[in-house]
Amino acid sequence: MSYYFTILSPTDTPIFNIAFGTSKGGGDGIARFRFPDTAQYMNQFIIHSSLDIVEEAQWTNGGMYLKHIDTYPPAAAYISAFLTPSGARFLLLHQPPQLPNSGSSGGLGSSSLLGSSGNLVARGSTSSIAANPTSPQTEEAVRQFMTEVYESYVKTAMSPFYKQGMEIRSPVFRTRVTAAGKKWL
Amino acid sequence: MTSPGDATPVKPPPSFSPGVGRSASKSRFPDEHEPTLSIDAELADTGSVSSPTPPLSATTAELRIRSASPQARSVRSSTPQLARSSFGSLFDGRFDGSEDIRSLIIRAFSPTIAVYASEDTDELIKNKGFKGGFWELLRPFGETITGKVIIRDSIGSSRAWEDYGVRFVDLKGLGRAPASRDSGRDSALAQIEEVLAQQLGSAEGSLGASLSSKDVLGFPATISLAKLFLRQLLSSTTAAPHETFGHPVASVITISSRNKAPLETLRQLYAETNTGDKRLPDWVHQEYLRYYVLVHDEDRDDITESTRLYDQMKRHFGLHCHLLRLRSSQCIVTDDDSVQVPHCEWLSPQEHLSGAGEAETLVDLGTDGTPYLFDSDVSAIKSFIRELTVQSVIPFMENRVAVWNDQVASRRRGISGRFMSMSRRWAGFGSSSRSGIGGSGGATSGNYDTEHNFYRQDTPEAILRKMADYAFMLRDWKLASSTYEMIRSDYGNDKAWKYHAGAHEMCAVSMLLNPLAMSAKIKLESIDQMFETACYSYLTRCSDATHALRCLALAVELLKSRGGSATESAARWAMRVMDFGLVGSVGQILFMERVAACYASKTPVGGAKWGARRRKAGMWSIFAADQWLKAGKPTLASACLEEAERLYADVLDADGVFPMPEMQSFIDNLRHAVKVEYLQARGFDTQDEPAVDDALGTEEISEKLDKRNHRRSLIGLPAQLDAGTLMSAGPRDAEDQPNDDFERA
Repeated sequence: MSYYFTILSPTDTPIFNIAFGTSKGGGDGIARFRFPDTAQYMNQFIIHSSLDIVEEAQWTNGGMYLKHIDTYPPAAAYISAFLTPSGARFLLLHQPPQLPNSGSSGGLGSSSLLGSSGNLVARGSTSSIAANPTSPQTEEAVRQFMTEVYESYVKTAMSPFYKQGMEIRSPVFRTRVTAAGKKWL
Repeated sequence: MTSPGDATPVKPPPSFSPGVGRSASKSRFPDEHEPTLSIDAELADTGSVSSPTPPLSATTAELRIRSASPQARSVRSSTPQLARSSFGSLFDGRFDGSEDIRSLIIRAFSPTIAVYASEDTDELIKNKGFKGGFWELLRPFGETITGKVIIRDSIGSSRAWEDYGVRFVDLKGLGRAPASRDSGRDSALAQIEEVLAQQLGSAEGSLGASLSSKDVLGFPATISLAKLFLRQLLSSTTAAPHETFGHPVASVITISSRNKAPLETLRQLYAETNTGDKRLPDWVHQEYLRYYVLVHDEDRDDITESTRLYDQMKRHFGLHCHLLRLRSSQCIVTDDDSVQVPHCEWLSPQEHLSGAGEAETLVDLGTDGTPYLFDSDVSAIKSFIRELTVQSVIPFMENRVAVWNDQVASRRRGISGRFMSMSRRWAGFGSSSRSGIGGSGGATSGNYDTEHNFYRQDTPEAILRKMADYAFMLRDWKLASSTYEMIRSDYGNDKAWKYHAGAHEMCAVSMLLNPLAMSAKIKLESIDQMFETACYSYLTRCSDATHALRCLALAVELLKSRGGSATESAARWAMRVMDFGLVGSVGQILFMERVAACYASKTPVGGAKWGARRRKAGMWSIFAADQWLKAGKPTLASACLEEAERLYADVLDADGVFPMPEMQSFIDNLRHAVKVEYLQARGFDTQDEPAVDDALGTEEISEKLDKRNHRRSLIGLPAQLDAGTLMSAGPRDAEDQPNDDFERA
């Protein structure tokens, strides 16, 4: 599973970005997205496009954590969202690892840009969060992660040197997010 | 003006003549009403830049594409859309034409009429310049029947349709193909792809100008491409056992006045349709209507003689007769009353490929390939076809539907029918009984011929399917969907997978076409499920890619035209098509555009700003532009890019800069590449390009320095509506408008 975590300001400007991989089940914590290295902008496109859904879901969902809100099927990318009172939004894109057998079959028609989508049915057998992005376990793990990041975000935002809407450059915050990722995802 | 996405569910057409209203609005409004409306939209735009105030919401909902693009952006759009940009593509969002596509789909399933002409008739017609004989002469005129066609549905209410048509086929070629077709299934898809590539090539060859001006009239090239694709797909399927759309509803038996023994010839022709090698295969229902036509040669023969013969025919063969008066000499362009024969709309990919090549050679000679006819001939043929359809074919079909509904369907619906189908289920797999012709055979188990994979034409399963198809072709979708619904599980029990898939497909399609039914979400789910089943049966159990693709394409278009949350599942099906790899490279890009169009047609809920899918639509447009560029079609790429800019217009700041740096750089690169390729394709020197690009770059950078704090955000606001309008209307106008002017100056 590869993750791309973004905090967006109320004006949709990204104030914090981090890409990391899973550390569970022997993962090394390095993100391996399905897009080729030249197409890493895809993550931002997908995140940006899911804002449509966030804007809709924030009025229909009572909680701060909106759970899994959007999917980008061609690349099997899943988006979870978390709202903060100040209008910043946490968006987490997670992408299950590509199964070795689906690599050849998916490549037939889909272009290299969009990546090839994995076989969703085959993935359902394992219950680990890495393998099943819509399971309750995953939802719960993402929620824990979001809550922990939110705590750190609040502390960072309270810093006298931080103005709302500024990019978050604090190394402490970055390590905390990384640690949370390691812990939960 | 009917707004494509949401008109259908909101206001169902009046109980009579839905075709009238629709086609009228389709044909008339683009010319007359468009300009005034767009001026309205522009006024609305300049008045309040991006905030749809409640009174305006009706207009903006209809004109959503246009109103989404503040003028500043379309003027500044950096893509090199020279002539077309100002005109064609501004309108394409509205011309996206769900109604049009709906009508296309409806017309694709029109009754088939087989033509069987005597030698002397074909000889006469060949002299007029139609190599294929009588069939080829009739074919282009059958596709649109002049005037309204009134059809009575199963509950007795009648409706008038303006766009009704019938499909003429050659009886000799009917039903012969399937054996060889099976091997060539995939080649049908390959052919479609080839047709698309050809069309693209010709469009690109004349730099898109001819395409946009000639046959699409203001439609952007890609929309017409998507339509061409759909039309090709729908006409690529030939007569097959599992669906009866290709089976003849009637056959036109024709002799000419030159015939020496007219009545004997007619009898012989009739007999040949029943026996001998002209007999249709076992899975075609044999009781179709026979219609007798006498072609009178105006130039050579005596009309009194023909009239006498015609009277004789009427006495012998009943009322289904017609005297068609044609001139036998060939008409050429320079003749006084020459009329060009219309193009066939429904050419199969194969014919398209062979026909297109023919036309090209003729173009070199300086003449158009299409033949000409005398005005009198044209009107004679038109009135013949109208009479044939209105007075014979449609009453015949109505009658058949009523009879079958009464005799077969009601028995199946009744308690005993249910018991029968249940007992059949438990009886295990019965031996395939070959009941004699004429026997109803309802009680025997296993009517399905497992060896040849079809139901014989007289089994209840086949008849029910035929009845549903007749109802579908008569546009009685309610009856059609209920019949499909009834039989689809039977096919599953018999493991007749192709029938199974077809019934599921058509059930879902007829439910979606039925304008009155279904707005609830639960229905939508069941429709999705049906498409899923159909697609699985076609693909996995029958490996029939053509039908699977047809099914999914219909799903995309019809769900899209439903509007609301159905558009999202339409987009999902389009993605599935790409995922399955059913389409080639051009088709792939077309489906990307369809995804974008699906998302773009989703409108915000009420006056609120959320609920639209602008960003998603924009993203898919950008990807499509990227792919067009890679396919070497910068014209189309720039059209897509412009579409994307328009879609992104109201989710971005007024300065049009993407908040995400990587996205911005990707789009900048794409714009630049499209521009360079476009200019290269037009033969411009691209040496001075970098300078222009630099100017562009600095412009973008200077814009990035703008403060974006007054961007309206929904999140921070307690009440999204009122506060939104108040906040954004005032300061933005004052600050941003001068900025834009300054930069442009």
